[in-house]
Amino acid sequence: MAEMVTLTIDGKEVSVRKGTTILEAAKQVGEEVPHYCYHPGLSSPAMCRMCLVEVEGAPKPMPGCVTTVAEGQVVNTQSGEARHHRQGVLEFYLVNHPLDCPICDMSGECYLQDYVHAEGRKHGRGREPKRVFGRDDFGGDVLFYGDRCVMCTRCVRFMSEVEQDHRLTVVERGNRSVIDTFFDEGLDGTHFHGNVVDICPVGALVSKDFLHKARAWDLTHTPSICTSCSQGCNIDHHTRDNLVQRLKPRENLDVNGWWICDYGRHNYEWMNHGDRLEAPLVRGGEPSGAMGWGDALRTLLERAADKKGSVKAVASPFASNESLGALKRLVDALGGGDIVYRSPRAEDEVTLEGFPTLVRRKDLSPNTGGAGRLGMKRVGDDEGHGGLENVANHDGVLIVLGDGLLDQAEAFGADAGLFVYLGTHGSAAAAEADIVLPITSHAEMEGTFTNYEGRVQRFWPSLDAPGMARPAWLVLGALAAELGRGSVVKTAAEAFAALAAEAPAFSGMTYDDIGTRGAVVNESVSLTGD
Amino acid sequence: MAINVKVMKRPEPETTSYLRAALSGMALTFKHMVNPKKVTQQYPEEQTDLHPRWRGTHVMETHADGRPKCVACGLCPTVCPANCIRLVGGEDDQGNRYPIVYEIDEFRCIFCGMCQEVCPVEAIHVGRHFENAEYTRDRFVYDLDRLMEQEHPSTLLWDPSDPAGE
Repeated sequence: MAEMVTLTIDGKEVSVRKGTTILEAAKQVGEEVPHYCYHPGLSSPAMCRMCLVEVEGAPKPMPGCVTTVAEGQVVNTQSGEARHHRQGVLEFYLVNHPLDCPICDMSGECYLQDYVHAEGRKHGRGREPKRVFGRDDFGGDVLFYGDRCVMCTRCVRFMSEVEQDHRLTVVERGNRSVIDTFFDEGLDGTHFHGNVVDICPVGALVSKDFLHKARAWDLTHTPSICTSCSQGCNIDHHTRDNLVQRLKPRENLDVNGWWICDYGRHNYEWMNHGDRLEAPLVRGGEPSGAMGWGDALRTLLERAADKKGSVKAVASPFASNESLGALKRLVDALGGGDIVYRSPRAEDEVTLEGFPTLVRRKDLSPNTGGAGRLGMKRVGDDEGHGGLENVANHDGVLIVLGDGLLDQAEAFGADAGLFVYLGTHGSAAAAEADIVLPITSHAEMEGTFTNYEGRVQRFWPSLDAPGMARPAWLVLGALAAELGRGSVVKTAAEAFAALAAEAPAFSGMTYDDIGTRGAVVNESVSLTGD
Repeated sequence: MAINVKVMKRPEPETTSYLRAALSGMALTFKHMVNPKKVTQQYPEEQTDLHPRWRGTHVMETHADGRPKCVACGLCPTVCPANCIRLVGGEDDQGNRYPIVYEIDEFRCIFCGMCQEVCPVEAIHVGRHFENAEYTRDRFVYDLDRLMEQEHPSTLLWDPSDPAGE
């Protein structure tokens, strides 16, 4: 048990571990002390002087980010004295700040804007001309606007302490000091440099991808999980006009800290793709054509009735645990059979040196952990191709969930007694499908993924589903229930409860337990290989 | 109770002349013909001076080189209570932020003038103008070129000599 220290912050008594900084202790009583250079994931140089607080008995204001708490200390973060000092610091920040908020991408989520609005002077007193640096391309996805910079050096410290690739530094001195790269090297070739844009408290470092794309206040933030590898980084989808505009990391110290890799950060365009399947489609026999869900599923059950006994299914490791569980129930209800999945695999892992928990995994699918724990087998090569030779010529019921079959021939499933294709987009290889059902992508539904270490994490819908597309767990769960396996599930939480009741790895877990932080499955051994 | 009906005595048509009434009416008409105090305005030949704070259809101010002053900051679509402004920002070849798409639906607009009030670069203005007739409805969605072409004077939302209204 760590030694505890009791102190008073803004009249509220609080007990914290010995060695905690005043800034962190103030967070616990709900007081946000303004700060730029301090970031919980980086060292504290105490150079921005924004976190000055009044400590009774101390001769001068103390920087809250490095001053550790002491027994019986009385701290005022909002007193006139503390605010007076911070107001002076803010005035210095505005000496050279261009105040170009109308054209700055950070406007609306800028800490200089917030703090000046909350604590700054009403009118500036500066008369001298401001120094001008202009714009610099730092390489990679990063643009640097030197005039806006407050010299907190978070970006320099991120590159040296966390990415551990010294690409940024401070050059010059005094009011000419500016962040710069070494020669023409820039940030090209580093794998986590997008995070410097996130941690920049002002608009000095902005993303080229997001440049002028949307205003911060127009964006809706939805918690989600990154689908670019099996690490399962916690992210937020920032959406506007029913389109994902950018991805930002969401803090989770057990998985990704405050960071995500650049590969995952920029892999979002596919969520916005149009040309989606929007209505259930039935081919061959009567009835056929596009139809409502009720008619399509009734037709499916009628045609499946005389074909029990031999089922093969292709699942996708991009489908949620709930969808995979519902697929397994349906396959069992139809007489049982093998379920396989294919997953692309990278040659190398990329580790974030300063936060080694965060690795861009070789396994490039978000839910191989869930598929493996439900007894599905990985087939195919590292490109996520091939491996479906047995399935393509199967003569019983064939179900494809989420796999685009992009490498497969048009004759795929031509011999199948009943070929059911559930997907977001049409596919040339689904030409022989008897029944095509539109399902939602993970961005349009609620669900969970199981990451490389067996951590089950929830994601929430950030986009509206197109047309009649429905989550796969809803469709498959309804079919399984009609065939006598389980009851009809109406919500994702019920779908997960149905999964937890059947799969030992998930037993005892509920949506409430998982929450926003995730929960680890019951066994710790990964079944998915390296 | 019986209702008493009062029978009015009417002039008999055969014995009454309308000449006196006609002449008194015509006298009033001729009096107005020579009266210098005119109330009828000869619109459209004569135009009224609109009040300086009249709020009509919009004007986009331009720089001397013809570029719009708008920097696509997004404040006017944010503040617009009628949601009538559509804006897509971008960057021009000189690295300036500018509106790729800027459209105002004048049918939807309620002419509150908040877009002008919020504009940090004094680009968008409501104008002193009310003659907006068009042959088709879609002509009332003013795009950026159309807004820049508008030649009518823009509205003064406040007195320049007394901006705080004191």
